[in-house]
Amino acid sequence: MSILRWVIAGAGGAALLLGSASLAGAEISGTNGCQASGTWREGGFTVDAATAVGVITIPRSDTVDWQGSVTAPPGTYSGSVWVELPPPFGQVEVDSWSGDSQTTSNSGSHEYDLPSLVPAGVEIVVGGEHTDDNGSCSGSVTVEIDGGPFSSPLTAVSLVGTALTGAGMAALVRPMFGKVA
Amino acid sequence: MHIGRIIGTAVMGLLFMLFIALDLVLFGLIPLNSVIVTLLPVIGLIGGGVLGAVVGRRTATAASAGPSSQ
Repeated sequence: MSILRWVIAGAGGAALLLGSASLAGAEISGTNGCQASGTWREGGFTVDAATAVGVITIPRSDTVDWQGSVTAPPGTYSGSVWVELPPPFGQVEVDSWSGDSQTTSNSGSHEYDLPSLVPAGVEIVVGGEHTDDNGSCSGSVTVEIDGGPFSSPLTAVSLVGTALTGAGMAALVRPMFGKVA
Repeated sequence: MHIGRIIGTAVMGLLFMLFIALDLVLFGLIPLNSVIVTLLPVIGLIGGGVLGAVVGRRTATAASAGPSSQ
């Protein structure tokens, strides 16, 4: 009976883990015909928000040549890019823009160098939204930084924390497994 | 009721499961925005509190049964 209980508990845990996995990849949709893409210079690859699939592995540091466009002169516009965090923390905005323009496309280069504290191999959903006089569009892309779990010192800190709190938990519940006289 | 033990075990359960959630994220087993990152600490808090209550009751039972058995 206890074996069956552990099997059910294990299956439930596995289902919880698998069920939580998001559909990784990129998507973009909206009413103003927007498009966005970026090319990583050293990485040597291009990501188009409309066609990219799967998790995109990016270098820890690189320069991205980006471009975005809409089909008609935007007029008054605004937009932002954010990183999605677990609920209830929502989103952290990493960049935003606004203005008034008749230009239908924009491009530029952005050099980045992420600190080693940012963990590698973790799926991070980056979302974006753009609104102008012709409508709006939004999209997201799932990225992960190239490297293993131990390329960030945060992993060692977390494992030590797990061991210490696990030992503390075991010490606190130990009387439960002793014999009642 | 051993309120101190219940609160202590609940807090320890919260921290333990928080670190487990962090481990799962850092090893790439679940995405950063997964609801599991939120659920595990809550499960740890509640589970820890329940375990603390059970341990407290068992300890009290053992203490009261101890003198009479001698």
